[in-house]
Amino acid sequence: MTYNQQRSDKVSAPHAGHHKTEEHFREQHLMLDPMPRGQMNDMVMDSMHTTSWKFWVVFAILSAIVAWGLFYSWGKMILEGLGIAGVNRPAYWGIFLVNTVFWIGISHAGTFISAILRVFKAEFRRPFTRAAELMTTFGLIQAGFSIFMHMGRVWLSYWLFPYPNERGLWPNFHSPLSWDLLAITTYLLSSTMYLFLPLIPDLAMARDRSTGWRKTFYKVLALGFRGTEGEWVHLRNAMNIFAFAIIPVMFSVHTIVSWDFAAATRPGWSSTIFGPYFVVGALHSGMGAVVMVLAIVRGTMKNMKYFIRPEHFEAIGKLMLIISMAWAYFFFNDYLVQWYGGDKWTKQLLHYHEAGPLGWMWFLMLIVNIAIPWAVLWNKKWRSTPWITFTVGLLINVGMWLERYIIIPISLSINRMPFTWRLYQPGIEIPLGIGTLAFFILLYMAASRLIPLVPVWEVQEGQMAHSLKKFGRETVVTVSELE
Amino acid sequence: MTEEKSLLAVFTDLDPAADAIEHLRTLGVHDDCMNIISGIPVTEAMLGRPSQWTNVPRLALGGAILGFLAGMFLAFLSPTMYAIQVGGQGFVAGPPSVVVLFELTMLGMLLSTFLGVFLDSYFPSYRPMKYVTEVSDGKIAILIECPDADEKKLTDALKKLGAESVQPAEAQHL
Amino acid sequence: MMNKSNIPEVGANFAEGEQGKWGMVIDRDLCTGCQACVAACSMENNVAFVGEEDSGYGRSMHWIRIERFWEGEYPEVKMTSQQPVLCQQCGHAPCEPVCPPFAAVHSQAEQLNLQVYNRCVGTRYCANNCPYQVRVFNWRDYTDDRLDPALVTLKNQYNPDVTVRRRGVMEKCTFCIQRIHKAQDKAKSEGREVADGEFTTACAQACPANAITFGRVDNPESLVSQLAGQNRGSKLLEELGTLPQVTYLNGG
Repeated sequence: MTYNQQRSDKVSAPHAGHHKTEEHFREQHLMLDPMPRGQMNDMVMDSMHTTSWKFWVVFAILSAIVAWGLFYSWGKMILEGLGIAGVNRPAYWGIFLVNTVFWIGISHAGTFISAILRVFKAEFRRPFTRAAELMTTFGLIQAGFSIFMHMGRVWLSYWLFPYPNERGLWPNFHSPLSWDLLAITTYLLSSTMYLFLPLIPDLAMARDRSTGWRKTFYKVLALGFRGTEGEWVHLRNAMNIFAFAIIPVMFSVHTIVSWDFAAATRPGWSSTIFGPYFVVGALHSGMGAVVMVLAIVRGTMKNMKYFIRPEHFEAIGKLMLIISMAWAYFFFNDYLVQWYGGDKWTKQLLHYHEAGPLGWMWFLMLIVNIAIPWAVLWNKKWRSTPWITFTVGLLINVGMWLERYIIIPISLSINRMPFTWRLYQPGIEIPLGIGTLAFFILLYMAASRLIPLVPVWEVQEGQMAHSLKKFGRETVVTVSELE
Repeated sequence: MTEEKSLLAVFTDLDPAADAIEHLRTLGVHDDCMNIISGIPVTEAMLGRPSQWTNVPRLALGGAILGFLAGMFLAFLSPTMYAIQVGGQGFVAGPPSVVVLFELTMLGMLLSTFLGVFLDSYFPSYRPMKYVTEVSDGKIAILIECPDADEKKLTDALKKLGAESVQPAEAQHL
Repeated sequence: MMNKSNIPEVGANFAEGEQGKWGMVIDRDLCTGCQACVAACSMENNVAFVGEEDSGYGRSMHWIRIERFWEGEYPEVKMTSQQPVLCQQCGHAPCEPVCPPFAAVHSQAEQLNLQVYNRCVGTRYCANNCPYQVRVFNWRDYTDDRLDPALVTLKNQYNPDVTVRRRGVMEKCTFCIQRIHKAQDKAKSEGREVADGEFTTACAQACPANAITFGRVDNPESLVSQLAGQNRGSKLLEELGTLPQVTYLNGG
């Protein structure tokens, strides 16, 4: 008998005539539905080992898309120049930068969920922190691809890094792009380390129950972790430092991305609110993406219905609603102040956003980023339904992509020299963008079968901490702080 | 000199494990001769064990200082080594220096925190180690170093206190 | 490592109200829009020809362009005077600080904006940040004769004083810095100062209407200073504080 069972025995006395039975709580909450650790381990291991033929078909199709969309197209563009993309004067930045901002936005969800929710001890985070952190790392990889694609001479991109070189030249730290490079590098490294630290005990678990090449794989990655007192203390101290320190890093990353635009001398870009507006926008698309990933993981992976439940969609749905409201607030703030300023170029730009040839994007953005989340997510039943939150998340991601499209190529079409105004039409950006999306999904699919997607030890810790308590006639959930 | 022997006692529950640790102390096993191996973080206080020492926060601070110094170099020194005037701004970028300092401080701190776990835990280590795989099933193992002569006495006592199994621990490849 | 003597004074860049070194005056009343300056500039500076399709898509690489505007609604339209636009050689240039590898830099000696082709990695931030939209990008290898056999003969007219740029690099008007250097070298070898009107830029040289004048703006006696001093002069987007070095004369 494990201590979980022992704990649940304490509360398993029948409570006749109460509103909520223990059965009800078990069904609703993962944390109140404890299972022996060995069984949970087996479920997670099983989910990694199970691949249907559909998995391999999708895997093969995505590999083909990556080969065509990412590697062939990029190679072609490197050889022929950016002329085969749609960038021109005045839209010097196009979908490459849209995708960079988009993927960095996606990457914010992982940190938000695993760091902010960890710091505030939001218990619902436990089963899916790793699923979200994986998005951070894989999203940043796509952002890196997108930004390197964008460069005219990508083979010289190492010149942007600060290192002693034969030219005697260091990077220009006046440039927001140099800040970007430092911030994204810091974020990529620290989010990968933050993904890895809580993974070590689960890798050790997988090592203990694997054979063959997987045994070697997990053995190497688990670094010889046994779970001694010292190892846990070092690990938890480090995770604690990471959880606090990575939050400002996360905020700095998207703020600096926004400064690429806000620091420029351009109508519509030169906005002091861009920092927080972009951070909230990143969280908006990131949360939408997390909910999509969770719905897919729950729907397609074995045993995941136990770990990821409607309560989790409900909780993330609430966050999505709040973030949607925050995004609307920042959007309107930015819009109102720009409009009130009355600068003739800014006015021209705002008019172009709404009534230009791509005005439908502006309206669609407002509908899917604000109207639909507000109309749907207020309802607890709806937001608890995975396919509904999935759809809302998908629409939010479309909307946030459009927002970046409006901010970058559409806004670049209008400048202070009307003679140069011109529309932007994407070229090879489209296969390249599809390639990054396919690569993201491909990496995620591979990771879902290689590393335990559920942090089992964290789930068990949470289940230990939860119990039921009676207040008068009512049974309520209580959580003890074990940490 | 007596030969040293290691025992591994596996417990399923927290309370018997804590009781066993207390009893072992009365049997003359010093806290330094015991180690706990567990599949979830069990705090020292739960088992009545002395606090563990960790260098991770100190290393993090050291890394932050190193990162800050690297940031100072990039922000204030590197622009003067090959001075180039841009946009009517000073050679040292001014406010953007704060960005450079912040990012490098954080990078230094987080890298050294990560490395701190490796240093403090002697990771990676692929040598044979004393371990039972039941630990990752959520069980608690007490690893005891004792003189050869005490082995029988301790084994019996631990069994009596509710240990699921007590076995001589042998280092094995994990 | 540190060599103090390398470091010019921070205040070397001129402040608002002060003059730079080289400047230009363009008289819009005289400009006929004949495009001779565009052709001359392309010849002098080895500016690539991008072809019909790319040119129609906003990728022409001319360092100077003639902007045409009209007033009124069709069919009652009235042409206004032409506006040739080239790099304004700003004293506080927005393109410079945003370049991460220091490819867009300010010349301390000549008070010009330089583009160092070899350092450029093609982030195109400078072009976005240029309020005058005068920076042009090599979207393809427009100068590679393996891709276009017609270029084989065209190569014979390259100006040997100017680099030929490859794909992925930003470029822009240099105020014909190769001519500036040539004139300075000649004057130095003869032990004198460069005289006003001794040389001029390709666009000014080619202008049949003499609408473009180039020279030292820090010398009040020079023709360019005297023209700029007339009260019909204005600068493009002066309100941005970029301290442009090109004065436009209008409404004379």
